[in-house]
Amino acid sequence: MAHDKFTAEVLTPEGELFSDEVEMLSTRTQVGSIGILAHHQPLLASLDPTELRLYRSESDIVRLAQAEGYLQVTGDHALVLVEEAHAPEELDTADLERRLRDAERAAEQAQEGTEERERAQRDANRAQAFLEVAKGS
Amino acid sequence: MQTQRDVRNRIGSIKNIQKVTRAMELVAAARLRRAEQRIANLRPYAGAIRRMTRQAAEAAGTEAGRLPLMRQHDSEDHVGLLLVTGDRGLAGAFNSQILRAGERAAHELSSESMRVSWYVSGRRGASSLVFRGHELTGSYAGFTDRPAYADARHIADDLMTAYIDDQIDRVDIIYNHYISPLTQRVTREVLLPLQEAAVLEGDDKDADGEGGGDRDGETHGAPEHRALVEYEPGPEEILRRLIPDYVEISIFRALLESTASEHGARMTAMRNASENAGELIEDLTLEMNRARQAEITQEIMEVVAGAESLT
Repeated sequence: MAHDKFTAEVLTPEGELFSDEVEMLSTRTQVGSIGILAHHQPLLASLDPTELRLYRSESDIVRLAQAEGYLQVTGDHALVLVEEAHAPEELDTADLERRLRDAERAAEQAQEGTEERERAQRDANRAQAFLEVAKGS
Repeated sequence: MQTQRDVRNRIGSIKNIQKVTRAMELVAAARLRRAEQRIANLRPYAGAIRRMTRQAAEAAGTEAGRLPLMRQHDSEDHVGLLLVTGDRGLAGAFNSQILRAGERAAHELSSESMRVSWYVSGRRGASSLVFRGHELTGSYAGFTDRPAYADARHIADDLMTAYIDDQIDRVDIIYNHYISPLTQRVTREVLLPLQEAAVLEGDDKDADGEGGGDRDGETHGAPEHRALVEYEPGPEEILRRLIPDYVEISIFRALLESTASEHGARMTAMRNASENAGELIEDLTLEMNRARQAEITQEIMEVVAGAESLT
């Protein structure tokens, strides 16, 4: 069954990555996985690193590895803001594994409850999520 | 009087210098275009983040003022100064005017008996400050040709951590604001604590840059939607994440502006250098012709004198 379409836009600090009509968009908020269809109620959510999927149709799916970001849904428009996003084939597994190790080590060394530790943990989560996307492709 | 050969050698070396400066001018021009493009690319993102921040801040209400980055410290006696310079010189007054402004700011602050922590991006700034005997708390280099968002995040992390952990009570940033290849304006802004006014009414301040993007976005956040908006998680948590991003973007924007300014300043400086070299070559060519003519005249005089002595 064909779904109603709505416009989706993916923006990063380096520019626009995606802007097209889609049937569905799926990603993960801090609370959990979420799928957006047309006519969704207005929403503002903060996103965790994960695989962002943009369904142009049931078979034509654009997949992106996304970092932390935000999702805003207003009317028939979905806006995804992420710090960085990459196509799965652009990801370098070896580099990501190194980043993951570095971040995990930094997190261990930092003291419990400090800002520093939280940030290292976030870097680790991001590398982990990107790795999963890279391996899934 | 210089001989013809001396002058010809000088012309040769100046021509070589001119080739170098002209090449640098072209490279700077190409990089400037790219840097301008990147500033343009950032605008929609920055505008959207600001609109979301405003929306979340309004939904969160009084909670916003309690976030550590927005809370003013009780006493302000330790200020972090972030100077944005370049990795390389040969860009006219680009680096020195930042350093001068930094020194002046530090002088002002210490006359109000505040301590200063130096944070510097760019190899040039770091080395001159160390040379002048300042101790650098943070030094970031190697990316000023093409700063990545991660670089801005790195700097922002250090500053925010220091602010939250009470090591500094305020952060000022000093950078070259890009106006045109010919003009860069040294700008000093307060980065932390984040001014509530700047977040909530940021549009007025940045209206020059973000005009188009903001206007069409305004309809998305129109008041009638607000009551119905669903937040995942709550607006406070979203705001807690948005605020650091806001600081990162401010730094990233300053880095990009500075990069564009650097390439613009270098382009202008190198153009002037090429023009000067051209003038010098003209003068020297004239001098060489004069030297050659003098030699010819000398020879004719000798021939005539010789002929006369025979008759």
